[in-house]
Amino acid sequence: MKNWLKITCIGLLLYTAVFSLWHPMGPGGLAVSATKMHPGRNEFEFKGYATHFKEAESSLQVFVSVDSSAAYCADILQVVDESHVIVSVFLPDTISSKRFGFAANNDIDGTVIVDSPVGHDGFEFVPGTSNALCQYRVNQEEFSRFGFPYQPIIIESIRNLMWHVPMWFTMFVLMTISFIFSIRALGKEDGRVDLDHDTRASAAAAVGVVFCVLGLVTGSLWARFTWGDWWTNDPQLNGAMVVFMVYVAYFILRNSTPDEEKRARLSAIFNIFAFVLMVVLLMVMPRFTEGLHPGKSGNPAFSKYDLDSSLRSVFYPACAGFILLGYWIYRLNYRIQKLEQHDETHA
Amino acid sequence: MDGILNGVHAYKVTRSIKIGFDPHGIQRVMRNSMCTNPSRIFGPMQTFWALFQKELKLELRQKHALAGVLLYVLATVFVCYLGFQQIDSAKTWGALLWVTGVFTAFNAMQKSFATESSGTHLYMYSLADPRAIILSKAAYNALFVAVLNLISVFFFILFFGTKPLADMDIAQFLLGLLLGSTGLGLALTFVAGIAFRSGAGVGLVAILGFPVIIPLLITIVRHTTLSLEGASALANSLNLVVLIVLNAVSFALSYLLFPYLWRE
Repeated sequence: MKNWLKITCIGLLLYTAVFSLWHPMGPGGLAVSATKMHPGRNEFEFKGYATHFKEAESSLQVFVSVDSSAAYCADILQVVDESHVIVSVFLPDTISSKRFGFAANNDIDGTVIVDSPVGHDGFEFVPGTSNALCQYRVNQEEFSRFGFPYQPIIIESIRNLMWHVPMWFTMFVLMTISFIFSIRALGKEDGRVDLDHDTRASAAAAVGVVFCVLGLVTGSLWARFTWGDWWTNDPQLNGAMVVFMVYVAYFILRNSTPDEEKRARLSAIFNIFAFVLMVVLLMVMPRFTEGLHPGKSGNPAFSKYDLDSSLRSVFYPACAGFILLGYWIYRLNYRIQKLEQHDETHA
Repeated sequence: MDGILNGVHAYKVTRSIKIGFDPHGIQRVMRNSMCTNPSRIFGPMQTFWALFQKELKLELRQKHALAGVLLYVLATVFVCYLGFQQIDSAKTWGALLWVTGVFTAFNAMQKSFATESSGTHLYMYSLADPRAIILSKAAYNALFVAVLNLISVFFFILFFGTKPLADMDIAQFLLGLLLGSTGLGLALTFVAGIAFRSGAGVGLVAILGFPVIIPLLITIVRHTTLSLEGASALANSLNLVVLIVLNAVSFALSYLLFPYLWRE
């Protein structure tokens, strides 16, 4: 099998493309139509996402929790379709809070919660008169999750995890290859610089920069969808931009140094500098500073969901596939550069 | 052949003396050294001080260049004053101080290698350990940038008053100023070395240098802002640690890689 690497790569990427886009989403609570709650009867629509309200109508429950302690069962007026249900809830006048949570529960989806608009200005409680609590059950045990985990705000864009994150992993691998060849280019015993290793280093860095751009683009799209802006002030984003600039500077340095030997030596030195800077920027600094990426300053960490087998089953193959693709392109780029050098010397 | 070489050597020596380089000082150190290998005649630490003094003398003898840098600092702060008129927030004050600091450092750095002829470099290479050369240059530049930053602090106070500095923690602020300046000095000296060797001119220092110093710059602005707001040492300790780490990384990389850069 001469081409096993390429075949594996293509297979993994096809698998990633198919499953990251076609794998269904798990159930979640999307929104409620109510913007104002008051004592007495409140009628509103509960919107789920990828739920089975109609199919599991017999076991469906909707309830409103107040201050996450008391819960009030809602009467189901009409199940419109799989993801819409119109309910009515009776709230007593003893409630003085503005913190409402909304949840729906059935045997297929388990409990889905609408991320409660805690302290939201749109919610207003007008005191009045009324009564009692109800009993509810949470059947998390029966929770049969068969899709990607539902995350508020992120929702379908969680599929981007299989595209955005592998870009950075691939860039890291390529830059590491570049770094190692830069060290080896300088490390010759006779003190001369190894031009072949330098060619490898630059070929790998060039492909790494492309993956850096792809990572920035996929990240920017994702940021627009979830954080509301194409660019946000996040240490990882800014760090990635600086890494991009450093490697562009690396190529400017290469192009502005005509002498081959000198170019190889200088760019190898700068590349070592650039790699260390990249590690500091993307792996050390974000841990010290506040940002929007998962796992920092109160953001939901993916680690909790990385354990989710449905995500892992696509995410790991995606990483392997993109790393193989990066390596493949790097090899091609290296061979092209070698051929060009050959042409120049024999012209 | 010997005669020609001696002639070249004599020319280099007179030339060096003219620009303020004292070869006899180095030769004195050389005579005291026990080493016999000409490229490593003395250890890094022995030459370090002689080369550091050389940098200082070179600076002091070129009074017009020194005056130029000082004028640059004054002009930059004055432009800030014309633009802002008045600064109330510590954040703006700190950011402006370091923007000025960075441009001053670039300005100061560009002459670090460029004012010496390639003959001087060759001469120094044959005499001194390259690590001593980079360390002396970096140490000198770090000190120089620190002094320039202190001067720009003075100008900032002169133009903007002390209102943004009301709550400042002076010890922390000065420590940050020192660490930021050494960080800039170390990183930019190394980058200036690369740019100088490429032969592409001083423009390359800015292209290569800006991305490299951004992490340092982010941290030092944060540190200065916190120390101006009078935050506790504990609240600022994380920035301090990052600053020290960045300094250490720049130092280690310069020390390890400069011998390769210096080699022809």
